[in-house]
Amino acid sequence: MLNYIRAEAYKLLHRPYTYIALGVLLALEALYASMFAFHNSHSLVTPFGAAVVTLVEMGTIGFCICLLTGDIVFAGQYKNSTLKNEVSFGLSRAQIYLGKLIAQTLLSIAYLVVMMAFFIALCAVCLPMEAGTFYSAPEALVIVGYFLAAGLPLWVGAQAALCMCLFLVNGEMASSFFYVGIVFVLETIFDVAGLLAGGPVGDALLTICRYFPRNMLDGAKAVVGDWMYLGKAWLVGAFWVAVCTAIGLYGFRKKEIK
Amino acid sequence: MNDNTAVMAAYGLQKAYGACRALDGVNMQVRRGDVYGLVGRNGAGKTTLMRMVTGQSEPSGGEMELFGASGKNMRPQRCRTGAMIEIPSFSPFLTAHENLEYYRLQRGIPGKHVVDEVLEQVDLTDTGKKKFKAFSLGMKQRLGLALALMNHPDFLILDEPINGLDPEGVAEFRQILRTLNRERQTTILISSHILSELANVATRYGFMEQGKILEEISAEALHDKCRICLRLEVDDAARAAAILQTQLGTDKFEVLPGNAIQLYDCLDDPKRASYALAQNGVALLAMEQKGADLEAYFLNLIGGGRHA
Repeated sequence: MLNYIRAEAYKLLHRPYTYIALGVLLALEALYASMFAFHNSHSLVTPFGAAVVTLVEMGTIGFCICLLTGDIVFAGQYKNSTLKNEVSFGLSRAQIYLGKLIAQTLLSIAYLVVMMAFFIALCAVCLPMEAGTFYSAPEALVIVGYFLAAGLPLWVGAQAALCMCLFLVNGEMASSFFYVGIVFVLETIFDVAGLLAGGPVGDALLTICRYFPRNMLDGAKAVVGDWMYLGKAWLVGAFWVAVCTAIGLYGFRKKEIK
Repeated sequence: MNDNTAVMAAYGLQKAYGACRALDGVNMQVRRGDVYGLVGRNGAGKTTLMRMVTGQSEPSGGEMELFGASGKNMRPQRCRTGAMIEIPSFSPFLTAHENLEYYRLQRGIPGKHVVDEVLEQVDLTDTGKKKFKAFSLGMKQRLGLALALMNHPDFLILDEPINGLDPEGVAEFRQILRTLNRERQTTILISSHILSELANVATRYGFMEQGKILEEISAEALHDKCRICLRLEVDDAARAAAILQTQLGTDKFEVLPGNAIQLYDCLDDPKRASYALAQNGVALLAMEQKGADLEAYFLNLIGGGRHA
């Protein structure tokens, strides 16, 4: 498994897409931070803490970045027919599947670290530290830290859902649609169905809806410092990883490599 | 070099895609040291069989052995193989060196020099920073072969490996296969539509049609069957044989059922044979020159018609 992950790391480091995608994301962050700086120069004062804390409103972007990192790591394995090179050498399907999932997760975490560090550093350089009536810098970092701690398992859960789609559905575009369907659309369907059904069935559907990664992440914004909620987020994330990986592995083991 | 140890064997191997039977009870054996040429026309089941050997596809029935092991888990045995099935496939955004380095790391093959060595072996050292997506078909084939050779396999599985190679490339490829087979005792299973090229390297053949192996035959036996000869039909084969021995002084003939004789001598002067037989009172009913190459033999085996 270590060899597999080393190989994936080698490929990622030699793939221009890895750097281009990160560059685009960092450029967008720079644009976002510069908007605060621009406002500040026109007397609307946004201090460091207020800018940094807006990160918690962008948790959904994490689920979209999963799409990007998943695509970078999977690298068109079906389109380029490269899976046959791995299977024919005797690598197990589980090794291939888990290797890709781990590589995707590691890349996502690397992206997360770089993007967070870049944005916080940019805000620290461009924006005033005096908080005024806003969050102070330490308060903002605690909020963001809690949000990241709650978000990490949920993003990894979503990554597992994407990995399942990439392995079971031929074509990255179709996989992305399925992923969006599972992570974003399915929860809405449960929500609407729950409201329409009413009664115990409706309650059950609404309860299920609450345990979708995006809803769990949204919930974390309101309960900063609640360790129970944090634990629940990790359990939900672990559940998503376990279920999606089990389904994905089962399906991939049965799949013909063409 | 050959012995009777089977590197790969199939017993009643089947593969069905819905109602279509891609493999319909394949029985075959690739022995250690063989260069086994798999011959069959499009859709005969050659690639399906090779995909099954390499684990890309699971059989619907029957059994397959690889290095004596059978069952679902043949991963350790597959590590001893190298394969190039259908079109060589690599990451399009990496160079030849980067692609091979990726697989070297993935397979845990020690030593970075392995990549350079194998690229040199297939004459692909000068591609520099050219990405795989910009490679010609011939270059892709060479890179595919390089990957198949990288782990020094005991058993090499090659599906249409010379497609897209120029004549020089074909000759080099042939030389590589011969060297591997003779010097490293690598067993090779190879399919190709270019039967004349297959005839240059194969030591055994399996002829495939409609998901079945019709015949397995050694190159020597095939050579004998395809030898150019004079086929004589006479009224008394025993007497004719004696005359050929005494009058023409040759024992290069075979007596066949139905008063027929295959004579491998007098090919440049058939009149000598007919004259000798006539002079000694043996009636020569028919005489024709016979012989076939691999293609003709195959077409005859499957009943003529389309090409391999």
